[in-house]
Amino acid sequence: MDHQALAREMRGLREQVTGITDTAVAAADGLLIAADTADSIDPEGLAALAAAGLGLARRTSEATARGALHRTVAYGSHGCAAFYAVGDTALMVVLGDEGMDVERLHTATQPALRRIDLILTRKAAEGV
Amino acid sequence: MSGYELLARDLAACGRDGFTGEVRVSGSPGGAFHLHGGLVVAVESPGAPGPEALLLRSGRIGGEEWAALVRESGGARWPAAGLIAHGYAGAAQLRVVCAMSLQDAAFAVVAGSVDGCERGPAAGPPPAAVAVGEPPTRLLQEASRKLRALLALPYPVRPDRERPTPAPVSCAATRLGDLRCELLAHADGRRTARDLAFRTGRGVYTVTVEVARMLGEGLLECVDEPHPIPVLLPADGGGLGPREPATPAAPPQGPPPGPDASALPRRRPGASGINEALTPEPNGGTGWKEFFRLRNPTAR
Repeated sequence: MDHQALAREMRGLREQVTGITDTAVAAADGLLIAADTADSIDPEGLAALAAAGLGLARRTSEATARGALHRTVAYGSHGCAAFYAVGDTALMVVLGDEGMDVERLHTATQPALRRIDLILTRKAAEGV
Repeated sequence: MSGYELLARDLAACGRDGFTGEVRVSGSPGGAFHLHGGLVVAVESPGAPGPEALLLRSGRIGGEEWAALVRESGGARWPAAGLIAHGYAGAAQLRVVCAMSLQDAAFAVVAGSVDGCERGPAAGPPPAAVAVGEPPTRLLQEASRKLRALLALPYPVRPDRERPTPAPVSCAATRLGDLRCELLAHADGRRTARDLAFRTGRGVYTVTVEVARMLGEGLLECVDEPHPIPVLLPADGGGLGPREPATPAAPPQGPPPGPDASALPRRRPGASGINEALTPEPNGGTGWKEFFRLRNPTAR
């Protein structure tokens, strides 16, 4: 896996969308892969929460016949936390402050998610 | 034509036409100008804290209290009447906050890049609108004057560019004002002046000017290389596998219709054990009567 390419994608997303404060990428089971987070955030705990939250949301979506899950977003008075699945193997967390345009985030995230999926799976497949 | 010229031309035309509606500005950070009768009554931008963020981040009101006010006002984005009625702020203070936020958001749009402008109908009443709108040309002139003043400082800073850290000399600095102490506490090499403005609940122009001054005085410094992002996964991608499916494969066939794993979880009556706890035991244990006696010791 190209570590630098993954770091570039995470940093690029933060610079592309105004208001992103932190990003993290984790395996689908919640094991942290990389974190671009402030010191006040526990990245391992965040990764575990994201995996649990996405799993619960996916289950809810299936049980209520809402189709494939796109994302989950938790809104708070000081911003929001968005959780995205990265293919079948990983997930990405994006934290933003209250100024972040969430629709713009969703638009900007889609190509980044595809590229991160390629970065994670390409080398993983080669390494097996 | 530069992005600023495009914005100035379109907003001036809105003023001449007495336009009422919204002008959406694409770019970074971009934003939206809300106009009424050709005057700007509110500006929203991801580049500057709005009135809500200014009140919440400055600690004037808590998140729970804000949510209660929004509910009380029927879902209004700016519950001004509730803020005044409950004593969180005075009417004059709210007017000042709204006017400052409008000016600050216009500055943030002008200080960034403008890709295009698009007029549109108002999606609803503009949030936190000022009572007397600003002529768009004057608003933009004031914003560009602020930007010129900022860029004329010895250490010019853009709201969304530099990510400063406290300089070693800042540890020994004394007699710092509140704003400088807050900026030193939150500047971590990851936050821009815009991020610091949101974090501290202050205007982005105010914070950007202060960051520029502190960089000039050596209290803050900008590192050339950003913090590295550690990647914990080995290069061969070991440990990365597909997630387990949420729904197990259905059995090919089978007469007993077992619980459908994709269905909503079903709660079984008595699962909490409360019935067993409250049912009278044959030997005279606890029961409903005992439960009520516990709640009201004087009851017979």
